[in-house]
Amino acid sequence: MAPGRSIEAEHVFDAGEDFFRDHFPGFPVVPGVLLTEMMGQTAALCLDAESRRTGRGKAMLAQIRTASFREWVRPGEKATVKAEIRSNRPELATAACSVEVGGRRASSAELLFSFLPLGNFAPGYRDEVLESYLASRQREKG
Amino acid sequence: MSAVAKSTSEILTWVADIFETPADGIRPETKRDEIDAWDSLGILTLIARMDEDFQVLLTEDEIQELRSVGDIIEVLRRHGGVADNP
Repeated sequence: MAPGRSIEAEHVFDAGEDFFRDHFPGFPVVPGVLLTEMMGQTAALCLDAESRRTGRGKAMLAQIRTASFREWVRPGEKATVKAEIRSNRPELATAACSVEVGGRRASSAELLFSFLPLGNFAPGYRDEVLESYLASRQREKG
Repeated sequence: MSAVAKSTSEILTWVADIFETPADGIRPETKRDEIDAWDSLGILTLIARMDEDFQVLLTEDEIQELRSVGDIIEVLRRHGGVADNP
């Protein structure tokens, strides 16, 4: 990994994962949403490694700008996740990401990240929007 | 100075693409609150696309100035991103 610039990671999905039973029965493949999440988390690790130095906050996936899926990823196959950071600014970052299996590109995505203050992840932190929503639900229940 | 410059009509199409709205509804006088997707996420997308497509890095003050499509054109013009004159 080159913090703030690029990262490469690997993951093998165990054949016993629950989601393979439904996706799909008799034809288990990794759901595209999980491939996208892998790319997002990998790119966020790369950004967070840099942000620890700059104090920018934690990278959060804000937008899937493009995503495409070309090959199946099957149980037991080694998925190689790559992310290259493109724009990298105090308020946002973009990343070009891919998942490869056996040297073939299975998926690619362009992702946009924003940054949340680390204090938002501290124990006991109460999110204003969530608190407001929960309070409204409580009022509805009477 | 931007390495890339577009005509005003190309920029209107570019803005429409960013906010995923029909190009015929985008004019320089179109206000921010007339574009549904020009919300907090839309601003991030706009900033990212200015960087990627024009190599223009906006300051926080410039971002605050953007209240209409015309403001986007003007800020791009200041950075050399507009090929034609007003």
